Amino acid sequence: MLLSFTRKFKAFAGKFETPQLATLRGVSLFSQIATGELRAIRGLLHRRTYLKGEIIFDEGEEAQAIYFILSGKVVICRQGRPVDGAIAELGASQCFGEMALLDNSPRMAQVRAAEDCTLDVLFREDFLGLLQTHSQIASKLSLELARMMGKRLRQNINSYVL
Amino acid sequence: MQQRSSRIGPVTWCGIIGSTCLLIFLFQKILWLVVPFLLALLLYYLLAPFNKKLLKSGMGRDFAAVLLSGAFLLLVIGALLLVYPMVIANAGEWQYTLMRYFEGGSRAIETLVYEIQQNFSFLRHSDISVSVRENMLGFAERFSDKHLSEAILTAVAWLPSILFAPIIAYFLLKDGTQLRTFICETVPNAYFEKSLYLMYALDRSARMYFLGMLKLAAIDAVFLSVGLWLIGVPSPLLLGFIAAILGWIPYIGPIIGCLLAVMVAATDFPGDMSLIYATIGLFGSLRILDDFVFVPYVIGKNMSIHPLLTLLMLFIGEAIAGVAGLMLVIPILGIIMVIGETLEIIFRDTRLKARHTYAQKLHQRAASCDLNIDPHQN
Repeated sequence: MLLSFTRKFKAFAGKFETPQLATLRGVSLFSQIATGELRAIRGLLHRRTYLKGEIIFDEGEEAQAIYFILSGKVVICRQGRPVDGAIAELGASQCFGEMALLDNSPRMAQVRAAEDCTLDVLFREDFLGLLQTHSQIASKLSLELARMMGKRLRQNINSYVL
Repeated sequence: MQQRSSRIGPVTWCGIIGSTCLLIFLFQKILWLVVPFLLALLLYYLLAPFNKKLLKSGMGRDFAAVLLSGAFLLLVIGALLLVYPMVIANAGEWQYTLMRYFEGGSRAIETLVYEIQQNFSFLRHSDISVSVRENMLGFAERFSDKHLSEAILTAVAWLPSILFAPIIAYFLLKDGTQLRTFICETVPNAYFEKSLYLMYALDRSARMYFLGMLKLAAIDAVFLSVGLWLIGVPSPLLLGFIAAILGWIPYIGPIIGCLLAVMVAATDFPGDMSLIYATIGLFGSLRILDDFVFVPYVIGKNMSIHPLLTLLMLFIGEAIAGVAGLMLVIPILGIIMVIGETLEIIFRDTRLKARHTYAQKLHQRAASCDLNIDPHQN
């Protein structure tokens, strides 16, 4: 009974999310995160705006953060080849640069803003700190990250086989 | 920072040293603000692990900050309320004891200087030992009239700003991340990730320095207490603690700590010169251990600065701001070095510069895209 009450209360509280939190909830990685937890994450995020054509990061650059797209589109491409070297185009609610959170390897591709876009950025050290202090957020984010990586791997295998 | 410093160019070095001197000069003018802020930083890094544990247990950031800084403030007020009646009740006795130790210490120094005089024929007929003792006793007699009241008044004047430290620490614990986000907002997109890393590196360096200093004081206190107890100096725990805290003042602090222990040893065991030599030997060996073992191990090589530069900066710091300069110069130099190195990396990176220029052009174009539209064109 207590559990159902908690769920109902969370659902009720969720209705009163600020527009900022609601935008953040749209990001696939945060879909399972509770409102209070999302507020903790919001405090660590840096909001940036990029104009169409602006470079977000270069291939080979030292990776420090993961990016969440709130609005607009970005293109992931080979260094300096946004048209013929395009790898993927990502839109709102998607994220990129997640490899930076998992290892210290340099950026594998260049990312440019395909449209004017707004991004939220989470610094690697903040992410690691969050995993240490909030175990529930940690397990949810890790699961979502694993799902996302699995989905991308499956897509790559399918495209390779086909 | 030795690995880091090898990457810093001569122009940046000049900038780092110049900025450090300028900051020391400015800070001595606003010492009433700098001291509580530094204490707050120390407190912040001391409380940060507990804050992390409270957050881990599910407590909110605001409540954890209130709880920790409030507990510390209560602890300080409680300690002051406890110490104040003790000071009032024992002030006369302490003054008498202090005078007795001064007397004993000056007698020991007179004996030491006399022994030196006897071994050098050209000094044999001089009266250095007597004049040294007279000077020391004169200082001790004038101390209560001239310096003690001044010291008490200074301590009372500093008390409000020192009590201010837990309040600053509270805001650092509560809004530290927001402050960092606010600062990062001013950075252009091209330099953003690098500036994030700079903030992290600064935080890490400051944490290592402040926590390292606390750990080092604890190690020194234990080492001195055990050492003084083994060689038979009275009150080893109190002397070890005072000497370890005095060790925070570079070069002068350890000498004052050693002199205190020598004074106590010479007063309680008059004529026992071997005890005085053992005490000096103990402090000397601690200095060597500190420089070669404890400091690199506890504070880490990341904050280590070349010894020659350290010495030079200590002289400059002392010349600019006295004891405050001596205490402030090394942490400020460490922080400025991290900033200097990162800024050099950022400004030398032509790719980042090109990206920033390109982004500026895009912003200009976006801002002026509708400026030259002819209203009669349609």
